Amino acid sequence: MHRETRIANFVLAAFSVISLTLLSLPLSSPVQSFKACLSYVLNPVAYYGEKGTDRLTSVPGNVRNLLAADIENRVMREQIKRAAWTKAENDSLKAENERLRQALGLKSTLPRAPLWAHVMERDSTHWYRSLMVDAGADQGVVVNAPVVGRSSDVIVAVGRVVEVRPKSAVVLLLTDEQSSAASYVASVSTEDARSDEGLVQGRGTSRLMMNYLSPDAKPEQGDPVYTSPTSATFPPDVLIGRVARVNPPDPFLTFQSVEVAPAIEASSLDEVMILKTQSAAIAAAATAKLPAPPPEGDAAAEDDSQ
Amino acid sequence: MTTMGRGAAAFLAAMAAHWWWTTHMPLFGTAPQLLLVLTVIAAARRGPVRAMCAGFAWGLFLDLLNARLFGANALALTLVGYGTGSIRRQVDVTGVGPQTVVIFSMTWVYFLMIGLLARVFQSQFLWVGWTQFMIDPFYNCFVGLIVAVAWRPTWEHSRSR
Repeated sequence: MHRETRIANFVLAAFSVISLTLLSLPLSSPVQSFKACLSYVLNPVAYYGEKGTDRLTSVPGNVRNLLAADIENRVMREQIKRAAWTKAENDSLKAENERLRQALGLKSTLPRAPLWAHVMERDSTHWYRSLMVDAGADQGVVVNAPVVGRSSDVIVAVGRVVEVRPKSAVVLLLTDEQSSAASYVASVSTEDARSDEGLVQGRGTSRLMMNYLSPDAKPEQGDPVYTSPTSATFPPDVLIGRVARVNPPDPFLTFQSVEVAPAIEASSLDEVMILKTQSAAIAAAATAKLPAPPPEGDAAAEDDSQ
Repeated sequence: MTTMGRGAAAFLAAMAAHWWWTTHMPLFGTAPQLLLVLTVIAAARRGPVRAMCAGFAWGLFLDLLNARLFGANALALTLVGYGTGSIRRQVDVTGVGPQTVVIFSMTWVYFLMIGLLARVFQSQFLWVGWTQFMIDPFYNCFVGLIVAVAWRPTWEHSRSR
């Protein structure tokens, strides 16, 4: 018999015996061990094949993302250049403002350091009361710090910090019953925009109530409502919302009230900006080599309603 | 690269190609039995011994991907290698035409062997389905043509060196 044929017969017999053993005793421990060894040796083909395929299929997407990032990077660089110019202008105006305040003998306002924080948790049954953010005492957040949000490039009032933990803080929303803020209606029908001052108060619903408006005020639906310079918590001229409904005058009350729709929905808040006051003032004073302000000297420590 | 290194690389590449084709590029739910085709071509050109060794190992790889009948593919591909080697002794199967005929017939033999092994060891004939039974031989022949064309310039050239 030809040598190759003899070897082929022998190999066939050997492989057939092995295969039939594997087929006959699939649950025996030697076959299971053999299968495990084989899996260990051969499975990487499929595993790394899949990983390689994933890499290859994600290449077009990654290239597209890279190009988009490059374009975005160029746009951002331009914006940074413009922002640097705006900052320089702003610093110059601030310095001028400070000089004029000193010349007039006015008390200087404390600078505020903004701190962005993500909304960690909210009570799904009480959307309009409070939420928790991922910045706390470690980041310099203090109780009563005003919290603002961003709605289509406009800074809007959200609430104030009522509880501070090391790495988180609880924010009481303006829509909560215990919240209030001094405010004014920038009515287009009146000449003096800030003449219609009042107090915006939360009601635990999606709407706010603005009370104590002068009986002579003529607010209209859609008029913007801003925080007042007399607000103890918020910086002035921060948008709160818009007049949603003008309540009919009550003959038993000496003021009139309007319903205000907040500029930002509590349920749509993903991140907020906490305006740090005291620590930021100290840090800013230290940076500017000015004497640090007295502790708790700012009026923001107290709620407007108190 | 040594002959053994080339062989090992081709062996692993064949497994990877088979896995990739069946996983990511099935056509109308069917994919060619690339390892079967390669076993036939190896047996036709390199002799039955090498083809059986490769077929047995490839069969074990296919068995690992299946949930049952561990060893059936190994036995089937070993027999395919042996059968092609036996035909090789009678007929010259290195040409494209005879090779295509062998691939066509071995595909059906392979399907029937898997079915019969399942009948013996699991008391149930494992039928691949009429669609696959009718389409796959043609698919395998097509892939066999491509492999045969690619085989000559790469493998034969490296062998001559």
